[in-house]
Amino acid sequence: MTTVLAICVTVIVTVSVYLMLSRELKSIAMGVFLLGHGANLAIIAMSGSPVLPGGDLRQPPILGGENLVDALPQALILTAIVINFAVMGFLLTLLVVTARKTGTLNVDELALEDPPVASPEPDRSADRGVGR
Amino acid sequence: MTDNLLGLLVVIPLATAVASVALIRHRIPQRVLGLVSFGSMLVLALGWLSEIRDGDVLVSQMGGWPAPYGITLVFDSLSGLLLCAGLVVALGCYVHSFSMLDPVTERRYFHPLIQLLIVGVNQCFLTGDLFNLFVGFEIMLMASYGLLVIGGSRRQLGQAYKYLILNLIASTVFVVCAGLVYGMFGTLNLADLARIVDARVASGEGLPPGFVGVSVLLLFVFGAKGAFFPLWFWLPDTYHTCPVPVAALFSGLLTKVGVYAVARTFPLIFAVGEARDVVTPLLLVSAAVTMLLGVLGAVSQNNVRRILAVHVISQVGYMVFGLALMTTAGLAGALYYMVQHMVVKSSLFLCCGVMERHAGSDDLDRLGGLLKRDRFLGVAFFVAAMSLVGLPPLSGFFGKLVLVREGWADHWWLSVVALLTGLLTLVSMLKIWTKGFWLPPAEQAPPAPGRDGDTGSGDLRGAYAGIGFLVVVAVLIGLAAEPIYEIAFHAGEQLTDPSAYIRAVDPHGLIAAGGATGGGG
Repeated sequence: MTTVLAICVTVIVTVSVYLMLSRELKSIAMGVFLLGHGANLAIIAMSGSPVLPGGDLRQPPILGGENLVDALPQALILTAIVINFAVMGFLLTLLVVTARKTGTLNVDELALEDPPVASPEPDRSADRGVGR
Repeated sequence: MTDNLLGLLVVIPLATAVASVALIRHRIPQRVLGLVSFGSMLVLALGWLSEIRDGDVLVSQMGGWPAPYGITLVFDSLSGLLLCAGLVVALGCYVHSFSMLDPVTERRYFHPLIQLLIVGVNQCFLTGDLFNLFVGFEIMLMASYGLLVIGGSRRQLGQAYKYLILNLIASTVFVVCAGLVYGMFGTLNLADLARIVDARVASGEGLPPGFVGVSVLLLFVFGAKGAFFPLWFWLPDTYHTCPVPVAALFSGLLTKVGVYAVARTFPLIFAVGEARDVVTPLLLVSAAVTMLLGVLGAVSQNNVRRILAVHVISQVGYMVFGLALMTTAGLAGALYYMVQHMVVKSSLFLCCGVMERHAGSDDLDRLGGLLKRDRFLGVAFFVAAMSLVGLPPLSGFFGKLVLVREGWADHWWLSVVALLTGLLTLVSMLKIWTKGFWLPPAEQAPPAPGRDGDTGSGDLRGAYAGIGFLVVVAVLIGLAAEPIYEIAFHAGEQLTDPSAYIRAVDPHGLIAAGGATGGGG
């Protein structure tokens, strides 16, 4: 079980790093979200195998008795999912606003402080690149 | 000691934020509400700080669940001092924003966001477990994302992503680290972790495999938030674009929370045993490079705002220097330095806002003659700048004195770097002073439009009140160096010997009785 989870985490993180290395903000955002899922799976893996050495499964805590699953990592993941969801909503909104305002979601084009076309003050072009 | 009202420091700003959203169309009630919130929190925090000045620890167990099962809030010397300094900074910047923020920006949820930022910051300072530290970070970061793009100008949107993406990655790594720590020790309570780690090292059992890896990963997480050496690239561009009160608040609070997290967790848990041999050299090198590169970057800039922003990095280096020493006096020096830096740096940023308002730009080639035009601003800037440099009667001197003296014995080269950095700080501050205040304007350039979101009313009373408040506090920190340093020294003692901290969090000995299982998956 842990091996399967470990492989899943590896694949997810690999894909997310690949996405984050892109120059398009949309792909970067997707990469960040995937990374969050990978992190949640990693916590599940850390919380221990649900299969006991004898082959029995651990029981949900609500049933009581012995050999219970540790519920705390799942509480952590629940919190992390909620936070991830909020961040995702914010980031997607920001992407939409940015695309509307600037007409681009390319990292290189956004990094220019004063775009050549939209610059209202030509005298600022002198200090473009300062401190970059 | 138990004080069940500690939760108020999180509840008050949260309630104010909710009320502010309800009052979003009414400016004055929101401002009054915000002032009441900051004022009452400051009074409460100062009251508690005076209660613990002999090195006591105030603890509140949320919902009556004892540690390590429940959520613990801890108000000790470390968190108390930083909390008070943070609230002072927030109050100063808030008052300043009354005259520096234009009404449109203000209506875009500025008041709720600033309260939420304080919710996150206070929770980070108060919390007694690793996972709530993460939650506090996230609340603070969500609010800071909002404040960063408030107004939504093109330049802000373009520069915000660096900060956003880096912090999202760092937060994800933080969650993984929390999971790994839970897997290793079966607990996330800091006092419990400190006890287990200590016991394992003392009994020769050794730390679980991978512990050093988690330490270094956490250093990456906190380093990214605190702008330590290889991870500081997001900072100058971010502080350059947002409105001045927001930039001042960020410079005073955000990076310091990262430094606080290192100060809280590393001496207690993650730099114990063999992890210390790995973490300490990283911190030492990072401190030296952060100090020196930060100040060199600042000297090379020609915009007031960029000089100040890059300077934040260099100052973080001093704090890391103190942390890297991991001695009582070193940690105390770092803490004192943090407190004075938060106040001084924010007041400098606020001064920069008024300079921009007067000259229409923060480009040093356009500024000049401001001393004649605005005496108050000149004096305030000079006092704050000299504090930052560390001139003797002012607060920066004492922080640097402790750090340099403490570092001299073991790491004299680091002390030399710190002194050199101090000299270069003087150069960069004199650059602003001479070009901005002293010399007559170089050319009569037509006034350029102000920074985005900074074109409020012409009334500067709020701005002066904010600057005056922070500068007076900065001077007081210098004059009252001894009592403040005493509290900082208690914090250093509590960090190097966590037994008092553990006893306060767990008065009934539940942790010591082995309440938590050691080692899970």
